[in-house]
Amino acid sequence: MTTLSRSTLFWQRQLLILLALAVFFVALVLPFCMAVLWSLVDPSTPWAYPAVLPPVLSLRRWVEIWTTSALPQAMYNSYTLAACVSILTLLLAMPTAYAFGRMEFPGKAVAQMLTLVPLILPGFVSAIFFSALLIELGLYSRFLGILIGHTVGLLPYAIRLLSVSFSMVRQDLIDAARDLGASRMVVFRTAYLPVLKPGLLAALIIVFILSIEEFAISYIVGAPDFTTVPTILYSYLGYNFIRPNAAAVSLILVVPNVLLMLIAERLLKSADPAVMTGKG
Amino acid sequence: MKRQRLTPYLLLLPGLFPIVAFMSLVVGMAVSQSIGYFNFAGDDRFSLEFWEGMLSQNQFWRVFWYSARIAILSSLISVMLAYPVALWLRRPFPGSDLISAMIKAPLLVHGLVAAFLFVNFISFQGFLNVALVKLGLIDRPIRMQNDSYAIGVVILQVWKNMPLAFLVITGSVRAIGDDILDAARDLGAGSLARLRRVILPLTLRALQAALILIFIGAAGDWSFQVVAGPTNIQSMAQFMHRVQSDNAAHGWNEAAVVAVMLMALSLFGSLTLAGLMQLIVRRMGR
Amino acid sequence: MAQASTALSVRSASLRYGTFQALSEISFEASQGQLVTLLGPSGCGKTTLLKAIAGFIPLDGGTVEIKGQDMQDVPPEKRDTAMCFQSYALFPHLTVADNIGFGLRQRRLGAQDIATRVAAVAEQVGLSSQLGKLPGQLSGGQQQRVALARAMAVRPGVMLFDEPLSNLDAKLRDHVRMEIRALQREHGFTAVYVTHDQAEALAMSDLVIVMRAGVIEQMGRPEDIYRFPANRFVADFIGTANIMPLRILDVDRTRGEYKVSSPLGEAVVRSDTPPVSDHIYACWRPEDAQITKPTADAQNRFEVRVTTRTFLGSQCDFSVHPLGDATNRYRIQTHGFAPVSEGETIGVVIAPDAIRFLAEAVR
Repeated sequence: MTTLSRSTLFWQRQLLILLALAVFFVALVLPFCMAVLWSLVDPSTPWAYPAVLPPVLSLRRWVEIWTTSALPQAMYNSYTLAACVSILTLLLAMPTAYAFGRMEFPGKAVAQMLTLVPLILPGFVSAIFFSALLIELGLYSRFLGILIGHTVGLLPYAIRLLSVSFSMVRQDLIDAARDLGASRMVVFRTAYLPVLKPGLLAALIIVFILSIEEFAISYIVGAPDFTTVPTILYSYLGYNFIRPNAAAVSLILVVPNVLLMLIAERLLKSADPAVMTGKG
Repeated sequence: MKRQRLTPYLLLLPGLFPIVAFMSLVVGMAVSQSIGYFNFAGDDRFSLEFWEGMLSQNQFWRVFWYSARIAILSSLISVMLAYPVALWLRRPFPGSDLISAMIKAPLLVHGLVAAFLFVNFISFQGFLNVALVKLGLIDRPIRMQNDSYAIGVVILQVWKNMPLAFLVITGSVRAIGDDILDAARDLGAGSLARLRRVILPLTLRALQAALILIFIGAAGDWSFQVVAGPTNIQSMAQFMHRVQSDNAAHGWNEAAVVAVMLMALSLFGSLTLAGLMQLIVRRMGR
Repeated sequence: MAQASTALSVRSASLRYGTFQALSEISFEASQGQLVTLLGPSGCGKTTLLKAIAGFIPLDGGTVEIKGQDMQDVPPEKRDTAMCFQSYALFPHLTVADNIGFGLRQRRLGAQDIATRVAAVAEQVGLSSQLGKLPGQLSGGQQQRVALARAMAVRPGVMLFDEPLSNLDAKLRDHVRMEIRALQREHGFTAVYVTHDQAEALAMSDLVIVMRAGVIEQMGRPEDIYRFPANRFVADFIGTANIMPLRILDVDRTRGEYKVSSPLGEAVVRSDTPPVSDHIYACWRPEDAQITKPTADAQNRFEVRVTTRTFLGSQCDFSVHPLGDATNRYRIQTHGFAPVSEGETIGVVIAPDAIRFLAEAVR
C-alpha cells in the first residue's frame, strides 16, 4: 500500500514536471525561436502567410540594421551610460550600505524603508516629472539627465545588495586581525575584501544590466536625440512595426544581459556564507 | 563620543540623500504642477482648475478604472499561479532546481522584448495562428493582437510578474520548518487544514508584498499597453504621457493631475488589496 | 490483536534507504501508562522509529499498532499520537492558548470546551499567565512547556517525545525531566521518549530500549540494563564501564563461580548466567571497585598504579593500570575524598558478582 502511494506520487510529480517543461517551451523557448527566425528573414523574400517557415534565410537583415540604423550609436550610448551609472551608483551606495550592514543606530529601519521608495514610484511618473524638473533647472544635457535618473533609480538595488555583503563580513575576523596588530589596510584586505568582492561585482553587473534595460527615463528624457537600445526597440514596435528589426534588437537586448545575469548570480551564490561553510 | 554617534548618519548621506532629494523633488514637482505652480505656460498661481477639469472628464475615469482593473487582475492571477507552484517546490526533488530556474527566466527578459515576443507569437501570421490553422481548428488566421478586452496585456503582466511573485513567496514558504508542518499534521490537521491554519498565515506577509509590488507595476504600465494593449483605451501612464505632449498650453498641469491620481491608485489600491488578502487569510484560518 | 492493556505495539518494523538499513526488525510493546525510552547515539534510528510511529515515515515492513489498531494506512493526522518536537515546532503566528488548543480545534471541539481544556492544561504546566503571548515572546523553557501542553491537551493514546530537553540548559533540563515524569505518572499517559542522554533514560523510563545502527541492542528496565548490560556497546553507552577480556579457567557449577584470568590478574566471577564462550568480555562499574590498604588480603584484590586523580567534590575519579601493564586503563570511583595520590600503588577489590559476563565472545 505504501509502496503503491509512493509510486503514484512519483508519477504525479513526473507529469507535473512534464507540464512545467511544456509551459516553459510554449511561453519562452518557442517565442524566442520565432524571434531568431524573424531576424534571419531575407529582406528580398518576405515571410508571409501561409508559409510556415521563412522561405529564404540570411544574415542580411542583421548587416542592414547594423549599417543603416542608429543601433550602433544606441548601443554605444547604452553601454557608456550603464558603465558610468554602475560605477557612480556603487560609489554612492557603499558608505550607506556599510552603515546598514554593520551599524545599529536609531532610525535605521525608517532609513532602510526610505531607500526603497524609488521602487514603488510608477516609472513614467518619475520619468515625466523628472524631465519637468530638468527643464525647470535648465539642465539640457540628455546624457547627464539620464545618468542622474538611472543612478537614483538603481541606488536601492545597490544599497540592498551591498548591505547584505557588508553584514556577512565576520566581526571575529576583523577583531582577530586587529588583535594581531593589522593596519586598517590589512584589516580591509583580510577581513572585508574576500567577502565583499563577489557582492561588489554582482552589484556592479546588476546595476549595469538594469541601466541598459531602463526605458521610461531613457525614453522621456532622451528621445528623440539620445537613443538607447530599448528606445530603438520601441521605435520598431510602435506605430511602424518592423518585425525583423524588432526581432534582431530584442536578441541584442536580451542575450548579453542574460549572460551577465548568470555571472552575477554565480557571484552572489559564492558570497553566501552558508555555502562557504557547507551549512544548509 | 559625539562624533561616533553621528558617523552612521554621515555614512547614510551619499546613498540616501540623492534618493530622498530626487523623490521629493519629482513628487513635489508633480503635485505643484497639478495645482498650477512651476507653470511652463503662463504665470504660477494656485488653481484647482486642472483637477476640476480632469476629474470631470469621463475619459479620465475610464482610463483610471481600466488601469485599476488591469492591476488587480494581474496581481491576483500572478499570485494565484505562483503560490501553488511555490508550495510544490517547497522541498527540493530531482528536477526542482531546473523548474525554479525556468520559472525565474522571464525576470531576465526585458518588458519590451516580452511584449514583442508575445505580439509576434499571436500576430496574424504568428505561430499561434499558423498552428491553429494547421491543426484545422480555424479556417484562416484570426486577429488577436491588441484585443479590446486587454487580455493580451494581462497575459503579459502575468508572464512577467508571476516569477516575481514566485520569488517573493518561495522565500517565505521555504522558511516554514518541516517540524511545524509535521506538528500540525500530528495534531490532526489534514492538508487543507494545514494550508488554512498554518501555511497561509505564515506566508501572508510575502503574499501581500507580492500583491503590492505587482499591483504598482501593472497600474503604472506603459510598454505592455502601448505594444499589446487595446487601441480604444489607454493606461494611466500612456494617458498621462499623451496629455503632457498633446495639450500644449496646460499639458504639464493636466498630466500632473493624472500622475498624482496614478500615485494614489498605486498606493491605496495596493494597500486595499493587501488588506483584503489579510482579511481573507484570517477568515480562512478560523 | 494485542491485549487491551497494550497501548502501543511495534512488530518487525523495518526501513531501508537505498543500501542503508535505517531500522531492522524492531519489535517492542508499551503497556498503558508506561514510559518507554529509545536510547542510542545519533544515527541509530531512534528518531526514525519515533516518526514511523507518528506516521511521518512509512515503514517498508512490519506493523505499528496503537490500542490494538493497525496503523498501516492511517496518515499521521488520523493517528492517536501527539509529538513533542525537539525544536518545539510551535506555530509562531498563534498565541500560546491557540497553540495549545490547535489539536482540539482539529478534533472539532466546541469553543467553550477548548477554552476549559486549554486553561486546565496550561495550569498543569504553569503557563496560565502566558496564554495571550506569542511563542517568540517566551523563554526556551516556557516554549518547551507550550510544546508539552499542546501535545497533552489532545490526550493522545501515545505521547511521543523527540529529545524534548536537548535545547534546555543543564539545570532546567533536570527540572523539566522530573516534571514530565511526574505529569506522565499523574495522568497515566503512555509515552515513547527518544534521547541520546543515558542519564535521562535511566532516570525517567519504565522500559529502556538501547539502539544502534537500526537494531535493538538491549531492552529492559533501567536498573537491569545498568547492572546487566548485554554487550560492550550497551555497557559503554550506559554509564561508565570498565570492559576487559576474560579467559575462563575453571568452573564451580554448584556455586555459579568461575575462575578467570583477566588483565588485572586471576579473578573469581559469580554469575547466574553461564558465559557464552571460554574467551569472553566482561565489565565492571567504576563504583564497584573498593580501595584497600596494599597489605590487606581479600578475594579479587588487585594491585594497580594510579595515573590520574580527579577530585569532583562528592566523589573522586581515578585512572589506574595494572602494575607493569600501562596499556590497559581502568576507571575507579570512590565516594568522598580518598587520600591517594598520583603515581601511588594501591589495592582495589572488586566483588565477584560485580564483574558481569557480557554476551559477547572475544574474537
